[in-house]
Amino acid sequence: MLLRNAAPRARILDSAAQLAGYGSDGLGYKTFLPDLVVIPADAEELASVVRALHGGGLPVCLRGAGTSLSGGPVAAQGGVVVHTSRLKAIREINVNGLWCEVECGVNLNQLDAALKPTGLCYPPDPSSGPVCTIGGNVASNAGGAHCFRYGVTSNYVLGVEVVLPDGSVHRFGGPAGGRGPWREDWKRFMIGSEGTLGAFTRFWLRLTPRPEKAWTFRATYADLKSTERAIHGLVKHASYPVAIELMDPHSVAMVESSPMAVGLPQDHFMILVEIDGPASLVDLRAESVAAILRDAGSQDVLFGDDPEMRQKLFKARKAQGGLLGQISPDFLVQDAVIPKRALAEVLGLIYEEAERAGIPVATVMHAGDGNLHPNFLFDSSKPEEIEKVEAISKCLMERVVAVGGALSGEHGIGNDKSEYMGIVFGPDSMRMQMAIPGVFNPTHQFNPLKVFPERRFSA
Amino acid sequence: MKKLLKERLFEAFLDEVDGVSCVPASSTPLELRTQFSPHGLRFPLLHDGISPLFLQVNSSGFPPASSRFGPYCDNITGMNWRLPDGRMVRVGERVVKSTTGYDILRFLLGSGNRYGNPVDYVLRLRPDTGGGGIFRLEGVPGKLSEAVRTILHSYYLHWLESVDWLEGPEAPSLRVAVHCPNEEWSVFVDFMQGVAFRHGLSVDVQPGQNAVGDGLPDLVFKTTPDRVVSLARELANMGDIRCVALCYCAVVHVYFLGTDNMGARTQTISKSFAPLVEVLGGDWHSRHVVAPLTQIKETAWIAELEREWGEQP
Repeated sequence: MLLRNAAPRARILDSAAQLAGYGSDGLGYKTFLPDLVVIPADAEELASVVRALHGGGLPVCLRGAGTSLSGGPVAAQGGVVVHTSRLKAIREINVNGLWCEVECGVNLNQLDAALKPTGLCYPPDPSSGPVCTIGGNVASNAGGAHCFRYGVTSNYVLGVEVVLPDGSVHRFGGPAGGRGPWREDWKRFMIGSEGTLGAFTRFWLRLTPRPEKAWTFRATYADLKSTERAIHGLVKHASYPVAIELMDPHSVAMVESSPMAVGLPQDHFMILVEIDGPASLVDLRAESVAAILRDAGSQDVLFGDDPEMRQKLFKARKAQGGLLGQISPDFLVQDAVIPKRALAEVLGLIYEEAERAGIPVATVMHAGDGNLHPNFLFDSSKPEEIEKVEAISKCLMERVVAVGGALSGEHGIGNDKSEYMGIVFGPDSMRMQMAIPGVFNPTHQFNPLKVFPERRFSA
Repeated sequence: MKKLLKERLFEAFLDEVDGVSCVPASSTPLELRTQFSPHGLRFPLLHDGISPLFLQVNSSGFPPASSRFGPYCDNITGMNWRLPDGRMVRVGERVVKSTTGYDILRFLLGSGNRYGNPVDYVLRLRPDTGGGGIFRLEGVPGKLSEAVRTILHSYYLHWLESVDWLEGPEAPSLRVAVHCPNEEWSVFVDFMQGVAFRHGLSVDVQPGQNAVGDGLPDLVFKTTPDRVVSLARELANMGDIRCVALCYCAVVHVYFLGTDNMGARTQTISKSFAPLVEVLGGDWHSRHVVAPLTQIKETAWIAELEREWGEQP
């Protein structure tokens, strides 16, 4: 009743069938049913809902499209899921100012379609672009294939409007980008905060000219060492590729057995590279990129500036995640970032551990960034398989930290990797981390049990 | 899962493959160049050729090459940070991409010394291609302003190291810096000459000079790209001021001509101009004065962070 009064136009879902759709995100095997789902009609209603829930006994979990892969937007401690799907307005595109203002429920492809006629673009491009929301992207600091040169979400957020758990509404930054890197820039805490500090309502995003032309390259390699050599050559090259993607033989085989097949040898690693920019510049660079790929040992380098070829190759790369669901009851995608000199070492570890445990693994990687996505395939109805997958993940994360890497590059920590935070942060830096929800969300009412396992809500 | 019992800290390193290096925050530009050049790498984000890195970072987050590479906070990926009571912590990572906990790195970077000081930075380096140059465009201010719009909306923008409007006692001009392999230089010459021709401007081409260094700004304003030139022009009208507007970053660097009353001049100018940028979610900053807080709640938030970060439990 309290919620109905606070948000008369909101949809409120409470039947078991309705709630089932909100039990999990892309980390499908871990489910947490909420007690209630609220879908506010607009930002004002969202703020009213937060105020109505403030001080109450229920945890609150914000959710966009639910495409997170780390167990972020799920009600891990029960409570209310606030679904932002109706906040879908692109409020302004300011072409001269190179910025736009969007509500949190706008999805990436929707924004891209609106920007196309202006000649501008918003570069972050996670594979879930057709459905994922800007709100989710900001919450997890999403990246994508093209962020090697263009950067991730945090590089493009100029401002954030957020409703804090006490119901107060704050705007950090705006079209002019706020404080930038001087004085207390509060929006920095908000980006990548995974719904643990407040509820986003709208954003101001930086825009950039859409590239005129792209060259796309694909090369295949019989072994990991040659693949690594090619990646090392590319990342140091002055052509600054926008994307350097890697698919391992298992992933290639999956794609080649699907309607997305692009004619790759199935027992090889595949590197997909893109350079973009003004035609006169990228045309000059194309041959030198191909030379790097050949010099690393590929006998099979194809490249071209045909948009259709580009679309087909990237579609094949991005389809990998979707295909996993067709061949395995469950899968777990990890998201570690490693120094690129450790690429062969860490991939080798993944293959060894997976083989030892009898767990199939298919790996893709944003190789330019060192951002690994091994996908472990298993059946969650078999507890021993869950145990094995979690043991491999633990072993992987320990190695990632040991070689100087990060637990997550773009998916966030969620409840999937929260238990590993203790191997990243020492006692003082952990206290610094925990001070931040202490400022904005001291009872951990928003998204409890995420990012840090100590974040438990008690009414 | 086991937990760390002591802090992990960065040690000095240079990783040529990833293009990252951990250096003391007190490093000078010469020391950086000496260290990175033999490896074909560079750290392009410098305001001048003499000031220690931490002073450069604290003076403005937007050094000249930030048009191409973004501000310091996108190019310093980690730090060893000394808290006010002397404890050292590591913030950030040595890998460029990370979503692992709250982004304390970007918050602390350039936050002054309220929460402590940087000891070491992990810098993101870029290939040193050896070539490039500077273009200087001159002409009627209205036409120059149109040229800025053309450049900011062109496909070339990503490859231009800086696009700066220079305003001061002399006539305004536009300075564009490029760093590229020698074989690509002619492409940029064609582009810039095309821009100049289209807008009826003269262009002076200076190949081989690709380092831009205007010095540490006295005052900095952040606005939007479509307002940055007019803001620089209005500021310069205050007299005894030289302005460099970083057109894509939408930042105006103000340099006082003369060294008298820096603090008082900063106060006067910021009081006049702050409302113009704050209405757009912008801000101002000066190394000479502490800017006041704009939200009442901030006082409480800052006090909480000072308490939690500043004292050993």
